[in-house]
Amino acid sequence: MSIASLSQLPAWTGTETYIADEGLQSIVNVAVGLGRPLLVKGEPGTGKTLLAYAVAEGLKLPLLTWHIKSTTRAQDGLYLYDTVARLNDSRFGDHDVRDIAQYIKLGPLGEAFERSQKGERVVLLIDEIDKADIEFPNDLLHELDAMRFTIAETGKEIRAAQRPIVLITSNAEKELPDAFLRRCVFHYIEFPDESQLARICRVHHPDVDEKLLAAALRKFVQIRAVQDLRKKPTTSELIDWLSSLRLSGIDAAKLEATLPFAGVLLKQENDAQRVLRAASPRR
Amino acid sequence: MFEGFHSVLRLAGLKVGVGEWLTVTQALDSGLIGPSLKEFYSTSRALVCRDEADYDKFDQAFAAYFQGAALPTPVSQMLQSWLDDPLAKPPLSAEELAALPHYDLEQLRKLYEERLKEQTERHDGGSHWIGTGGTSPFGQGGQHPTGMRVGDGASGRGQAIATARARRFRTYRDDIVLDTRQLAVAVRRLRRLERKSRRLELDMPETIRKTAANGGDIEIVERPERRNQARVVLMLDAGGSMDAHVRSVQAFFSAMKQGGGLREVEAYYFHNCVYADVYTDMALLKKKSLAELTRSVPPNTNLVMVGDAWMAPRELFSPYGSIEYGTSDEVPGVDRLRELAAAFPKRVWLNPIPENYWGESTIRAVGALVPMFPMTVEGMVAAVQVLLGRGDKIAKRAAKRPWPSPQDVF
Repeated sequence: MSIASLSQLPAWTGTETYIADEGLQSIVNVAVGLGRPLLVKGEPGTGKTLLAYAVAEGLKLPLLTWHIKSTTRAQDGLYLYDTVARLNDSRFGDHDVRDIAQYIKLGPLGEAFERSQKGERVVLLIDEIDKADIEFPNDLLHELDAMRFTIAETGKEIRAAQRPIVLITSNAEKELPDAFLRRCVFHYIEFPDESQLARICRVHHPDVDEKLLAAALRKFVQIRAVQDLRKKPTTSELIDWLSSLRLSGIDAAKLEATLPFAGVLLKQENDAQRVLRAASPRR
Repeated sequence: MFEGFHSVLRLAGLKVGVGEWLTVTQALDSGLIGPSLKEFYSTSRALVCRDEADYDKFDQAFAAYFQGAALPTPVSQMLQSWLDDPLAKPPLSAEELAALPHYDLEQLRKLYEERLKEQTERHDGGSHWIGTGGTSPFGQGGQHPTGMRVGDGASGRGQAIATARARRFRTYRDDIVLDTRQLAVAVRRLRRLERKSRRLELDMPETIRKTAANGGDIEIVERPERRNQARVVLMLDAGGSMDAHVRSVQAFFSAMKQGGGLREVEAYYFHNCVYADVYTDMALLKKKSLAELTRSVPPNTNLVMVGDAWMAPRELFSPYGSIEYGTSDEVPGVDRLRELAAAFPKRVWLNPIPENYWGESTIRAVGALVPMFPMTVEGMVAAVQVLLGRGDKIAKRAAKRPWPSPQDVF
């Protein structure tokens, strides 16, 4: 493991729009320094994906993203050999079809390795790894460990000179295999508390009326505390809600009594009813 | 640095191997972790924990090491091994139960700690020491009316009022992590791939054939993708006696729903036994008649029932046997089960109660109609084999059970 590579990068301290506490900052720096993937879990809307963007921005490195779907295979991340294009070119194209290399398209992981081979360090985001098949993370183990692979068709080896900074997000829809977890640095993003929420809101709404913000936050925290919500409102929904409130010019006093634009916060009919029931005075 | 911390972490129940610990020291040595304790806290936690469920254990270990807080008293490994393998005992009568001393929670805790200090060997079926299957207030699988359950094994009479589970044992949460994956892998074997999808894929051999027939002009042939066509109807017991098994049922349910990649998983609920109606919600409010259900399911659907099948005999064998308010069915539950059995040639029953309690009359009767398996990874694998029609081995296994075979019951 090349610890030496760390010194070339400044420590990551968050960005103007992404607020990271000290703990998260040092975890990111340790993961970068050790060259291990950082696995990030947390409730939806706690900024798991945004963290990768913020790390790339903060370290001034290019970001490659690999969004995982239920059909994604590990091989897709390395490279694809476009046989149909080659077949087509053999009949109509003006390409030299003897050169297979031009039909090899690198996937996000492959590209990250290749760019690192050329001395460029990148940040790779593997988003929502739990969406894929349960064996998917195991299939990635070898490549993530060895940081190289061979393109079978051309015999060319892609070998990362430096470990790319890999961030992996998971919504915990499926459990990840132990062998995979052992190789990752793990971080669970907790839902921000009220003061952190206020800071986040001020970043997105710098000129918000403090009274309105306080009232909105109070309401928001109350709603999240309601038992058994199917989908608790998240930070991004709070920010949207705040925009709606400001656009409509509702003042803080009115917000105390009612819940305007409830649909922005609560996306499920049952949840809306549950919140109304919880808010109405007990008989 | 911090040598002792590694062992404290392991004492607190975190599975920190040498590899993980080396990574922590490596990060410390190379200056990746700054000199503040706060930084050491968050980074070592990130390197040592693999799940947010581990955070609590980590916090306890951290507090114990750096602030001298006490770790929770661990039950010794040996004690757990005595408890792991309970010996079944015949149920006590009501009078015998009433004769045993009753304790409140505080008394129990004190007694437990005192006895833990004195005990030096394994005990089964006694009335004093911590052991299995007896009438002592401590242990598991026992029958003391207000006793305390010690260890992770199977519960006996379901009457334990407190559970003392020391932190050096795997938590339930860890079990689920392991089980959901393994269960999902087991469920996968139900797969029945057929070309019935609306999504198309390239049919390579046919494309080559057509292209050759075309004199070399490429002609693309597509065909529907292979998709899993396996369907499962799940029926879950939502009765009170199942509360003790909520976690394992949840793990099983999520494995079925998402892990298996099945075409369709319909879930229904019942209370203790199936009667004229089943319910589409866990609160047993929305009814669906059994007749409608059996009529509407496509052939080849697998039926998987989950429940303890443990009830008062009249709930199963008598007309109007349901104890659920507002449900009355003149047909006894056992006949309703026969209807189900007739409608689903492929059916299994998964029972969270350990197999050594399956001698109960209702469990035996249900097991005779629906092949019954313990709700463990092993049981699930066997159940899937039966659903796939490869049940020979399983039959041999069932014959080894210490009570009469299904044929003798009816």
